[in-house]
Amino acid sequence: MDRDTLEVVKGAEAVVALRGHSVVKQRVPKGYRIVELDTKLRRERTRLEAKIQSDARRAGVPTPIIEAVDGFSITMERIEGSPVHSVMNEAVAEDVGAVLCALHSAGIVHGDPTTRNMILSAGRVYLIDFGLSSYDRSLEARGVDVHVFFQTLEATDDRFPTLKEAFLAGYARNCSDAALILEKVNEIKERGRYL
Amino acid sequence: MIVLGIEGTAWNLSASLVDDDDVLCEASSAYIPALGGIHPREAAQHVANNIAGVIRQVLSSTDPRLIEGIAFSQGPGLGPCLRIVGTAARALSLRLGVPLVGVNHCIAHIEVGRWKTDLVDPIVLYVSGANSQVLSYRHQRYRILGETLDIGIGNCLDKFARSAGLPHPGGPKVERLAQESRNYLPMPYVVKGMDFSFSGIVTAATEALKSTSLEEICYSFQETAFSMLVEVSERALSQMDKSELLLAGGVGANKRLREMLSIMCAQRGARFCAPKSEYLRDNGAMIAYTGLLMLRHGIQTPIASSGANPSFRPDEVEVLWIETH
Repeated sequence: MDRDTLEVVKGAEAVVALRGHSVVKQRVPKGYRIVELDTKLRRERTRLEAKIQSDARRAGVPTPIIEAVDGFSITMERIEGSPVHSVMNEAVAEDVGAVLCALHSAGIVHGDPTTRNMILSAGRVYLIDFGLSSYDRSLEARGVDVHVFFQTLEATDDRFPTLKEAFLAGYARNCSDAALILEKVNEIKERGRYL
Repeated sequence: MIVLGIEGTAWNLSASLVDDDDVLCEASSAYIPALGGIHPREAAQHVANNIAGVIRQVLSSTDPRLIEGIAFSQGPGLGPCLRIVGTAARALSLRLGVPLVGVNHCIAHIEVGRWKTDLVDPIVLYVSGANSQVLSYRHQRYRILGETLDIGIGNCLDKFARSAGLPHPGGPKVERLAQESRNYLPMPYVVKGMDFSFSGIVTAATEALKSTSLEEICYSFQETAFSMLVEVSERALSQMDKSELLLAGGVGANKRLREMLSIMCAQRGARFCAPKSEYLRDNGAMIAYTGLLMLRHGIQTPIASSGANPSFRPDEVEVLWIETH
């Protein structure tokens, strides 16, 4: 890593670094996997993540512009702004609902829509880190997305009940099946798996 | 406190006496199918034929009046086996006039692992014949962070081994054959978040038997399936921000799996531990010890609710014996 690069986050499968006006996400080799499998997985996942992220953007979901995909790394636009959890209020929660609805309408689930993976920039909520995302239109997958968001909200914010309502209002604006999703979320919660 | 525990969920019938410090004695009787895999009716017959013997063996080593509780595996497992174990446990509890406690088999694997290693608050990778789960303790429950969407890793190995004509249990044979090859044949790698699926590997491996050497298939099978398990374990460590990994369950005896887990943990600065193999496979001591923890914290199972629970999930159990950190 060169002098202008600042390592910021080291996740389970990738290292994310800031480089000028860009963010570089690099999938690192895993010593426990044989090289053939490791290379194949990292290449496929990098390509898929970039594809899903640009498809989401094309569908009107605010996400960083992909600047380059190179083997195991994705270079993308750096979004300057505030992490959503630090600026959360009813209007922001409603925007998150609308953004997640737009993503789901494009047949994509994020996979990890925690407030850490959202940035408020110039009045818009950006979704970042599509590392666990997939093409999935099922009620179950969309329900898990919404449930994951509710969980982070409930754990970090005392205004959860009103924020939840605001989120649902935003989600229902363009997604007519919001009531079905909420039912699914309650069912997922009942199962206890994700408690 | 001395507790007698009886394990009998599938292949290994086992009874044991433990106290707070150690295992006092254990007697086991393994069911070894003459042909094919575990047949539920024959496994139950094995339990029925041998349960009096194993219990008598452990009772003979101590004064029965010192026993303060009877623990038994209540589930998950094969219903016909669980019912016999439950009946024996109820009879003992009434005869000795001591409390009865039904133990979740998965949680027993975890607790014996914590007991026999010095890990405090680990992510647990629990891999056995029928079960494959990644768990983590939080707010008085072992939460299931991820699990197999279809079959357990052990059953996956056994199923393939059977179609390759290898005798039961297939896992150790696959492990030995895998050491003879370094040629990787790609197989379905299915990880969704922290869940995973093995059925595709069985199909692909069975199909490959027509054209590929058995050694190569075994190698590719292990590398693919185990990489999935290690990947979700790492994701769990990262997401829960924990720094210990405990391996539990019979498949934990596999050397390649252990090697991969220890490499992963070393790379991220986490500690990796697994108990000795006698505490990885199904054993009576783990049931007795978990029963002891439960009894110490006032948990007993009244006769009326002591029925077998073949699909008992670990997150149904309220865990009252762990001090909050």
